Amino acid sequence: MAFLELNRVSFAYPKRGRSALTEIDLALGRDEITAIVGPNGSGKTTLTKLMIGVLQPSGGQILLDGRPLAGYSLGEIGRRVGYVFQNPDLQLFCGTVAEEIGFGLTNRGYKPEMVEERVQFYLDYFELGSYRHVFPLHLSRGEKQRLAIAAVLANEPLFLILDEPTTGLDAYRKKLLADYLQKIARLGRGMILVSHDEPFVGRMAERVVTLKDGRIQSDSGRKGNTAHES
Amino acid sequence: MNLDPRTKMVMVVCLSGLALLYNTPGQLLLVFAVTVALLMIFHFELGVIRDYLKPFLSLMLFLLVIQCVFSPGGKVLVAAGPVPLITAGGLSTGVSAVLRIMTVAAAAMLFTTFSSRDFILGLVQWKVPYELAFMVSIALRFLPVFRDELGNVVTAVQLRGVELKKVPWREKMALYRRLFFPVVYGTMLKARQLAVSMEARGFRVYPRRTYLRRLNLLGADIAVMLVCLVSTIMLIALHFT
Amino acid sequence: MVRGLTYQYRPGGPFILKNINFQAARGEIVVVAGLSGCGKSTLCFCLCGAIRHNRDGVLAGEVLINGKNVRELRAAGLALEVGMVFQDPDTQLFSPTVEDEIAFAPENLCLPPDRIRERVEHVLELLGIAALREANPYRLSGGEKHLVALASVLALDPPVLLLDEVMSGLDGAGRKKVAAVLERLRGAGKTIIAVEHDLEAVDFADRLMVMEKGALLRYDRAETLLADRDFMGEKLWHS
Repeated sequence: MAFLELNRVSFAYPKRGRSALTEIDLALGRDEITAIVGPNGSGKTTLTKLMIGVLQPSGGQILLDGRPLAGYSLGEIGRRVGYVFQNPDLQLFCGTVAEEIGFGLTNRGYKPEMVEERVQFYLDYFELGSYRHVFPLHLSRGEKQRLAIAAVLANEPLFLILDEPTTGLDAYRKKLLADYLQKIARLGRGMILVSHDEPFVGRMAERVVTLKDGRIQSDSGRKGNTAHES
Repeated sequence: MNLDPRTKMVMVVCLSGLALLYNTPGQLLLVFAVTVALLMIFHFELGVIRDYLKPFLSLMLFLLVIQCVFSPGGKVLVAAGPVPLITAGGLSTGVSAVLRIMTVAAAAMLFTTFSSRDFILGLVQWKVPYELAFMVSIALRFLPVFRDELGNVVTAVQLRGVELKKVPWREKMALYRRLFFPVVYGTMLKARQLAVSMEARGFRVYPRRTYLRRLNLLGADIAVMLVCLVSTIMLIALHFT
Repeated sequence: MVRGLTYQYRPGGPFILKNINFQAARGEIVVVAGLSGCGKSTLCFCLCGAIRHNRDGVLAGEVLINGKNVRELRAAGLALEVGMVFQDPDTQLFSPTVEDEIAFAPENLCLPPDRIRERVEHVLELLGIAALREANPYRLSGGEKHLVALASVLALDPPVLLLDEVMSGLDGAGRKKVAAVLERLRGAGKTIIAVEHDLEAVDFADRLMVMEKGALLRYDRAETLLADRDFMGEKLWHS
């Protein structure tokens, strides 16, 4: 059964008049890595914000794990779906890097030793160890990007949505990220990657959904199904 | 009717001035009514005005109660035993305070009818130093940024799995307090980056700037400004005699 | 031309930039590459004067642009010589419309209104964003914001252009646009220094500079360095 389902979803920004997204039908499972691609302004980020509940659709319905998304609180969604914003500044709010990574776990009541263990792991994996006590907004763009991803991953969500995760990452770190994402995908966490980065997408995604002018132009289909063009 | 932003600024100043001058609910109600009528002439619908004032409602209710209770006077209307709770005087003061705020807030809606560029142009053409004009304009522009920052942080915190509604008050306060500093500091960092970017584009190289557009005061503008100023001055004079 | 440039965040602290020396000529495109945190952005800040005038820290060495020492030029007087586009467009755009944003720079330089109009039209067309003229920069998509930020700096028509990760924010079409613009600017004799991660996006570069932990490792003609796969592989791709 699909983990995240969009049925005939449409969205228009109230002040802009024209529709940002029209009649989107999409079903995503926890077993696949999907890439959403398309030119600038085609509605990719808007689509992910609808999926995470930050925006409400003007038409259609979104289901998360079988239940309507509107019935969940943001906190409940956050525990199931991890979202990494395009601009890391939007989601870093703690006083130190270590605090940022451990925030979700601490607030869910995990014991300090457990939190410390996880924080150390992510600091090491994303090579942020030397920045442990640094104020997050002082880091460079690439470092903030890594921190944002680490902070979201530390929460161990069931599903991940990453908006342009490779902006600001150098080739070496992109490879690290790709490896890590593939590892956790194998452990049963589905993910959506919004990206312009064709080599990255090509390497990571099993399914590619192309958006253009707010509509789905093509969808390479779920594993085992034949691709279809709309 | 396309009025120069400076004309609108004069209107706002006049209306706010009168709102601060008068003390009785009757007079203030008149000023408020004139403000709303003016807004409607500028194509603001009543519904829009109401939606704009709605967020101020809790503040206004609070003010009403405080003024009522703490500035008693005149006939006692409601009492709890020997202690007068609501008096005619208090009610009058309270209602006045509320009307005053509503008038000033509503008048400020006129500022939304022109862009920050015209705001700066207007001030500069009236010989205000451009650094000052920019300072005010960018401060105004940063208000929504600050509000967005707060909104972003609240969203980000929730998306990290924190159920804000279920968090008990004391912990919620502690959380907000901890988040306050990074949010403020973050906004300041952004402000600084904006400053660097502006300077990198030549801001304040020279003591003057040229402008792509110019604002022109038409006959209608002068007429309206004169009417506003003259009537306001007359009303002020009348009030003090 | 940069001579012996060193920089520390605070006296006695770690050196963010260690003895950087290089030269770039007119009509050259230089790409600065290196892992995140190696000091590329800091170098740009030093070149455009942001560090000398806006931040603290200890700066030693010289930066000469067109023969003029950057330290002796007044803070915003540098704007006439160097234009810098920063990484985050959200903190650079503040005007109510795109047109106003682009007009901002020439207005600061006290150009007459018709010259300002000329520059604005020229830049709008150059980057193909004429359709966004009346749009509010705050509400544009990520890639569009990057283009507007670039446009607002191009309106300065500076002889030296510094770009911090401009390609990363753009999609394929945007990158092609910017690449074409950069090549045109090179033809017009401008010096362009671009910090980039994705070296394929700037394959038209003349020279390549590789930095690591604040030091300049190598600075050479682009084809030469790119051909040295061992070096590039080790320093950039850790493979």
